[in-house]
Amino acid sequence: MNNLLSISLFLPELVLTATIIIAIIVDIFSVSNRTSKVSNYVIIGLLATLAAVFLTNHSPTTLFMDSLAFDPFASFIKSVVLVATLLIIIFTRYSNEFKGYHTGEYYALLCIMVFGMFLMASAIDLITVYLSIEVVSLMSFILAGYLKNNPRSNEASLKYVIYGAFSSGIMLYGLSIIFGLTGTTKFFAIRDAITTLDSSSNLALTLSTVFVLAGFGYKISAVPFHFWTPDVYEGSPTPITAYLSVAPKAAGFALMIRFFNQVFVDGDSLSTLGWYADVSFAWPEILGVISVVTMTMGNLVAIQQNSVKRMLAYSSIAHAGYMLMAFPTISSEGVFAVMIYLVMYLFMNLGAFFVLIYVAQKQGGENFEHFSGLGWRMPIVGIVMTIFMFSLTGLPPTVGFIGKFYLFVAVINAGSAFYWIAFFGAINTVVSLYFYMRVVKTMYLDGNPSEEIIVPPLSVTLILLVLAVPSVFFGIYWTPILNWVNNSLLFFVQI
Amino acid sequence: MTGDMLINYALGILFFPLISFIILIFVGKRLPRQGDVVGIGTIILTLILSLAMFGSMLLSHDPGFRHEASFTWIDLGDFEIRLGFLIDNITIIMLLVVSLISTMTHIFSTKYMEGDIRYSRYYAYLGLFTFSMNGIVLANNLVSLYIFWELVGVSSYLLIGHWFEKDSAADASKKAFLTNRVGDIGFFIGLMLVFTALGTFNYAEVFEGVAKGAISGTLLTFAGIGLFMGAVGKSSQFPLHIWLPDAMEGPTPVSALMHAATMVAAGVYLSVRLFPLFTPEALLFIAYTGGFTAIFAATIAITQNDIKKVLAYSTISQLGYMILAVGTGAYVAGFFHLVTHAMFKACLFYGSGSVIHAMHHALHNLKDHDTDPQDMRNMGGFKSKMPITYWTMLVATLAISGVPLFSGFLSKDAILAGTLSFASHHPQHFLLPVFGFSAALITAFYMFRLIFMTFHNQPKLPNVYSDIHESPKPMVFPLILLSSLSVFIFYTLPYFNPLSDHGWFMELIKAKDSMVPGSPSAHDIAEGMHHSHTLTMILSILVASLGILLSWAVYIKNSVSADNWSKRLDLYYNLSLNKYYFDENYNKYLYQPFLRLANRVSYIDWDLYDKYFINGFGHITKWLSSVTGRIDYDGLDQTIVDGLGRSMGKAGSSLKEIQTGRLQNYMLFALFGVIIIIIFQSF
Amino acid sequence: MYRDFGTVLIFAMLAIVLVYVPLFIQSLVAPSQKTPDKLDNYECGEEPEGSAWVQFNIRFYVIALIFLIFDVEVVFLFPWAMVFKEMGMVAFIEMGIFLLILIVGLAYVWKKGDLDWVKYNVKYGRGRYRQKASQTEGEAVGSI
Repeated sequence: MNNLLSISLFLPELVLTATIIIAIIVDIFSVSNRTSKVSNYVIIGLLATLAAVFLTNHSPTTLFMDSLAFDPFASFIKSVVLVATLLIIIFTRYSNEFKGYHTGEYYALLCIMVFGMFLMASAIDLITVYLSIEVVSLMSFILAGYLKNNPRSNEASLKYVIYGAFSSGIMLYGLSIIFGLTGTTKFFAIRDAITTLDSSSNLALTLSTVFVLAGFGYKISAVPFHFWTPDVYEGSPTPITAYLSVAPKAAGFALMIRFFNQVFVDGDSLSTLGWYADVSFAWPEILGVISVVTMTMGNLVAIQQNSVKRMLAYSSIAHAGYMLMAFPTISSEGVFAVMIYLVMYLFMNLGAFFVLIYVAQKQGGENFEHFSGLGWRMPIVGIVMTIFMFSLTGLPPTVGFIGKFYLFVAVINAGSAFYWIAFFGAINTVVSLYFYMRVVKTMYLDGNPSEEIIVPPLSVTLILLVLAVPSVFFGIYWTPILNWVNNSLLFFVQI
Repeated sequence: MTGDMLINYALGILFFPLISFIILIFVGKRLPRQGDVVGIGTIILTLILSLAMFGSMLLSHDPGFRHEASFTWIDLGDFEIRLGFLIDNITIIMLLVVSLISTMTHIFSTKYMEGDIRYSRYYAYLGLFTFSMNGIVLANNLVSLYIFWELVGVSSYLLIGHWFEKDSAADASKKAFLTNRVGDIGFFIGLMLVFTALGTFNYAEVFEGVAKGAISGTLLTFAGIGLFMGAVGKSSQFPLHIWLPDAMEGPTPVSALMHAATMVAAGVYLSVRLFPLFTPEALLFIAYTGGFTAIFAATIAITQNDIKKVLAYSTISQLGYMILAVGTGAYVAGFFHLVTHAMFKACLFYGSGSVIHAMHHALHNLKDHDTDPQDMRNMGGFKSKMPITYWTMLVATLAISGVPLFSGFLSKDAILAGTLSFASHHPQHFLLPVFGFSAALITAFYMFRLIFMTFHNQPKLPNVYSDIHESPKPMVFPLILLSSLSVFIFYTLPYFNPLSDHGWFMELIKAKDSMVPGSPSAHDIAEGMHHSHTLTMILSILVASLGILLSWAVYIKNSVSADNWSKRLDLYYNLSLNKYYFDENYNKYLYQPFLRLANRVSYIDWDLYDKYFINGFGHITKWLSSVTGRIDYDGLDQTIVDGLGRSMGKAGSSLKEIQTGRLQNYMLFALFGVIIIIIFQSF
Repeated sequence: MYRDFGTVLIFAMLAIVLVYVPLFIQSLVAPSQKTPDKLDNYECGEEPEGSAWVQFNIRFYVIALIFLIFDVEVVFLFPWAMVFKEMGMVAFIEMGIFLLILIVGLAYVWKKGDLDWVKYNVKYGRGRYRQKASQTEGEAVGSI
């Protein structure tokens, strides 16, 4: 589709852009200590964007001279990202970490990041891929270092910048080799070109793909490209940590799914096993090993943490590993499972982080000892946190169980060649039980149960319920999500 | 009203009480009047919706009306479970009964429970109960039925144990829950048998499968009996009847709502709903269970002195009647009795509540905490002090005794006609009508015994008597309403014949044919009942008047001395008074051996298995781990890991001046990762 | 394919050769008389003052960044001007939006005080920066 025609289907992004500009203008003209006013406009703008995402209906097509795809899959990821962003804005308004900071730009930056993730969700051109990743990364750097007076935040930001530059450098190298091999930047043209390559270019192809994988791995924090994660997650303001662990990860997975499906696999069927480009590639094995190593590393290190925030950081690495489990199968069932898991993960992970924000404010810290006896002192918070911990472990009847269930089904249905991945996945689930249950144990068995009971204010209770109710409800009745994902499992495909 | 409209109404009926429950359980205490207005408000909304549905049913007057709506709950490819609503005339009538009695209970409780420490929680639980009961009624499949079935059990547990400080109440709630579990196991087995055979839980699809013969013979009989076991537990049939009398430890309005009118009727409702899948053998089992329970509970009721215990055993006996009706194929009569019984039995319970309330206050004023306010031997002569309670209870008693002009006569008559016609086709089962008629005789006797002992004769405790007052308006109103609903006219309209059960009810609820091949058709059963109608009517009037007369002779005229007779029938009297020693025998022959077995098992588990096997295994593991630990620590850690670490540290420190220490390592690792992948890939 | 990269290799080698061969030749041929002036850094004819390795004020960075944005704007304006006649109104509106966005950026920078050399309306950090700020505030403009 040409540029002018594309604009009507680019409506969500346009609404988002307008939101960004309005946020900046409002920020300019607002009194500096009442900057949370900006968030009102941003929330309205994001809701409008969400509406635009749902209202823009069209059969799958491409926009702007084949550089972006417009399909239900992209809309799905966009909605997930938007919901996460809205929740994070509410978290930020509640969090007291930003006291004394000017938060006007914060919301504008968040929106720009959303814009980047929108592009990531729909990129089908190497240049768009790189640009969108960079937009998201740059905004993440600033947001991670938003607490200027906090040395840890500064450190996190700097580490993130350098590591990010390093990874995108590697990735850019990989992309340029692909361009050199095929002479084009469009996914579909690349796929066609790759099929015609002879075996002499295998090494170059391997190199390029591994390099690209490094870029993706950095975005979804898969081992061995995850090193930035714990430091950045710990140093950043907690709402940003929560955000980084959900939204960019969702966008990263979307990009990865699209890239591997459309460049290396016959994109039309999505159900064929085996990789399209070169059968001698051991991709399933490599991705399987990365997945297993990622979840094992995340879980094992998480066990040793004393800070709940750091524990959650490592646990988010482990969850990336779980989601990667479905990649080697590269079946529609696997993609389906990843999409379901993303939705489920959104609720439980953000919920756990919100409880952390609240507890850190009430108890003055984020370590395990600050949680001791919490279940008796703040009964509502205790119950809700228990739900999230159960869910992150993957116990029924919570959303975590449903998400894991579909992942394991996808892996096992893909055949006996992948049983070992499922095996390690199961072992890891058991390992993760230890540190998630440690939180529950600390809340209910440690410390002295006090007589005084703290009931959180209504607004906090509401947020907790908004996150906890779906965590249980969709664990019991998940058909709506299933239907939504089923309808969204449709890529743009060039014949 | 269109079907979709009805579904919306049903959604409201189902969820309003749940909303009330959620509000009350979380913020009930902070609301004005502890939030009872929320409970009452939602239940009245529910009642209005039920009345609207009922009205539309009467207007459309369609016996075959049926509307279904469902949604997919679990979809795992081949395995799919759908949940939903089924609305037909039975559903609509049940919904009205549940919301009506529930509304009455809510109103009655405002005074009865006044000043209770867990007042708001009480109303919350009432909301939960109404929600789950409506859920049972609306279910169109066995799964949601089972879910709500258990929820009803939970709310019953919570409400029986409302005063859990009393040991007897706590024990009673446990007993009720556990006894129900026994029945529910059977229910669950039946459920699974049906599902494995037919692959569906939906009623209509199950019946279709049965009609096609996809499940038949002994398996179907077992499935039917299994499902019926659920009804045995919930409707307190022999031999699982033991929990209901104890459940009277709960507040009296709760007894009226759950343990007389609605929850215990759930078992009957289940049998009515599933009637088409019962085989003749299963039905025979059901009939004998019901018939035996009817006579058995009635004989216990004669000797009880606690006013609520008498009513409890009478409830068991009446439920037995309904089950008997299902068993003999006259299940419409059984359902009819369910509805009429709900009205007059709830009225009787409210009446007893009113009496107990008055007694309690009188005793409280006298600072007498030893006298039992529920013992009928302490009452007498209340007629003049509590006229409204007396007259309303009298109406309800006449109804339950089966006196013409009252609702009980119509429904009981229909049941007895069903048993007579069944026996006339199968003379070997002559016991069933014998059970039925003798239970009717005893019922009339003990119910009038209750009335006479409480309201007539001379007061036994004069100082208490002088302090008895009529109950306040919110308690009297339900009594008047429900006793007027015990008059025949409400069930026979548009006809005015007090001796025949023809009316809107029988016209709107038509018996369905059994789906089991070879069963008698509904038409045949109705024909048989019609034939035996006149004989039944004469017999039942005779039996009822005999019972009342006998009671009058014993307790008013004293021409026959009750004490004298009880001494003469010493053995029987003691058996009945002690409820046939059921609790004691269950304890001795079931509970104690089970406890011993559990001890034995626990011994094996702890002292043998754990000590030798698990711990032994632990020792081996410990030893192994110390060996591997040494290898790991000395061999690997010291040389390779630490060595590597040291060399890394050296590399890191030498590069520190141009880069920020650790980040360098990070990138190095990432680069190693890339290289390893490439090497791996190249082979 | 590798042949294409071979061309690149030859180019690279040629480039290296063509740089070093003339240098090598002139080192053989040219006379060499070293004086202190000749060995000094070339700074546009000015006499060098101290080392070039000094800390520059961070505000240069901000200024450079802002400059870059508006510089890039002009880069986009040239091609736009070329096709303006053909596209007409659409192009005009589009460029209007583009400029509007940039103007918002300018307004933002202005409001935040980044166009002033010394930002009076921002709080200074803690420690030595606060002191320095109060010292320089008086003599503000002009000093580097």
